[in-house]
Amino acid sequence: MQMRPEIQITSVIKAVKDVLIPAIDPNNKLAVEQAQLVIGLLSLLASQLPVQFRFDRDELERLLATAENLTNVPTVHPGIAAAIAELANSQAVATSVLDNCRVDPGELVRSVRDLRQKVGAVVSAAAATTDIASQLLVEKIVLDLSKEQFLRDRSLMKPQGWEPDPAALPAIAELLAKLPREA
Amino acid sequence: MQGIDKDRPSAEWIASLRQRFVTEKEIDHILTRKLARRAGPGYSPIPLEKLVDGVKALLLAEIGDSFEIKDARWLSGGASKLQMAFALEWHRPGLGFEKTAMVLRMEPSESIVETSRLREFQLIKAFEGIVPVPPVFWCDADGKYLPYPALIYGFAPGVTKPSNASSGVSGLGTKLPQAVRERLTPQFVEHLAAIHRHDFRNAGLTAFDVPETGTTQCAEWGVNWWDRVWEEDSDEDVPMIRAASAWLHRNLPVLDQPSIVHSDYRTGNFLYTEHDLQISAWLDWELGRIGDRHQDLAWTTSSAFGTYAEDGKTLLVCGLIPEAEFLAAYEKASGLKVDTRTMHWYKVYNNYSIAVLILATGYRAARNGKTHQDVLVTWLIGIGYMLLDEIRGLIEKGN
Repeated sequence: MQMRPEIQITSVIKAVKDVLIPAIDPNNKLAVEQAQLVIGLLSLLASQLPVQFRFDRDELERLLATAENLTNVPTVHPGIAAAIAELANSQAVATSVLDNCRVDPGELVRSVRDLRQKVGAVVSAAAATTDIASQLLVEKIVLDLSKEQFLRDRSLMKPQGWEPDPAALPAIAELLAKLPREA
Repeated sequence: MQGIDKDRPSAEWIASLRQRFVTEKEIDHILTRKLARRAGPGYSPIPLEKLVDGVKALLLAEIGDSFEIKDARWLSGGASKLQMAFALEWHRPGLGFEKTAMVLRMEPSESIVETSRLREFQLIKAFEGIVPVPPVFWCDADGKYLPYPALIYGFAPGVTKPSNASSGVSGLGTKLPQAVRERLTPQFVEHLAAIHRHDFRNAGLTAFDVPETGTTQCAEWGVNWWDRVWEEDSDEDVPMIRAASAWLHRNLPVLDQPSIVHSDYRTGNFLYTEHDLQISAWLDWELGRIGDRHQDLAWTTSSAFGTYAEDGKTLLVCGLIPEAEFLAAYEKASGLKVDTRTMHWYKVYNNYSIAVLILATGYRAARNGKTHQDVLVTWLIGIGYMLLDEIRGLIEKGN
């Protein structure tokens, strides 16, 4: 997916800075201030997005360490004991969640891009030969992959309004509800 | 391709691309120029006064100092070029003193579609008196006087759609009333036929190469052009793009007769005057080439430019006429045959070229802040997935 938040935010910031802000009446103080805030929040979003997942994972690790310390606190007070027991339950769930969050989203994207490139390279390698049977077989496999992928790409872009019959396209949440191997 | 910094391309990499993808000389020139200046600064807003100064410098070199520029203002519209309207008071050759409404059309630092102003200038000039075109006056082919390459043409009267109608970006989805369609359609067909029949050999088209008849050279130059742009500009790879390129190369059609091809012949790219419903100017010649007429026919009949008639069922080519009727009328007007296999190939080709410029060039230009409308260029990336899916469907249908 090339249409990622990073490129969208970058181009929106440039449009606001280069075109919209210079067009604002300088006497409209509220509009001037809010335009600056729009730039500020978008810039913050641009710097926050790439690290947000790691930030949350880091916090969860710290909270788990804290939970571990708290569950070891000796107590005879029933109220404290009950709260610690609740904490221990959530600690178990959180430990499992953390175990499932070892891979960074950036790694996921890099892997997707690497495989895209390598799949493309197989197509190009086949095209460079005179082996038509291999070319057609490789092409068929890529067409099948593309059919499923473009369905999702188009669904994700549906809010833009390009689709002539948007109702015929399943919602992206529905398409992503099942993992590909389950679909 | 790993290890290549496309934002700071090396001379060796540029040379390897030029060698790998053989295409027309002028196309090679403008693509090479794009890469050579890529590592430079992005686009910064240009004051209107700077453009006026650039126009003055150009005119000084072309017509001397007896002129005055007035009423300079920005024009909106189009995703690829900057446009400034102005009035020129001058002594027009053969006509005497005149106040002429003009338009400056200039490239940004990098455009969503990198094309040659010289080719655009020559093509419009070639069709003066053949089909309606705006009068074209001067060309700053390499940005000698203006910040970037530019041309100046006369302001043509007319509208792209009824004054009270609405449409999407670039005039897509324009609905024309039946009375308007009936008057515009014959002109639409006749003009396309006239373009394809025009003798390009004596038209001053020095910036164009002529593909060899009876060979696949024309189609191959075209695919190589967009293959090269994909290599130059793409970020993430798209296996379907690779498969489309392979399919196009495997099925190259033979050129039976070279013609001038407009390459963006559709509703939204012509002006007409509402009082007499006459087409007054054909615009946007920047992708034109000497090539295969089926490229235009495949483009014009694309469903993306079609709208439905009042019955809600009949798809009209460019909102004007059903496809079968359009092709029959074209054959009659031009005396040229329509080959459905070649047309199918060019449908894949056209979608391929647009997918490349939307997904690769659009991304690269916006990512590096190179245009005056990065936000629009980014917005357009979203349509790329429909185009890719259309290519997939066309290839499946064609096998």
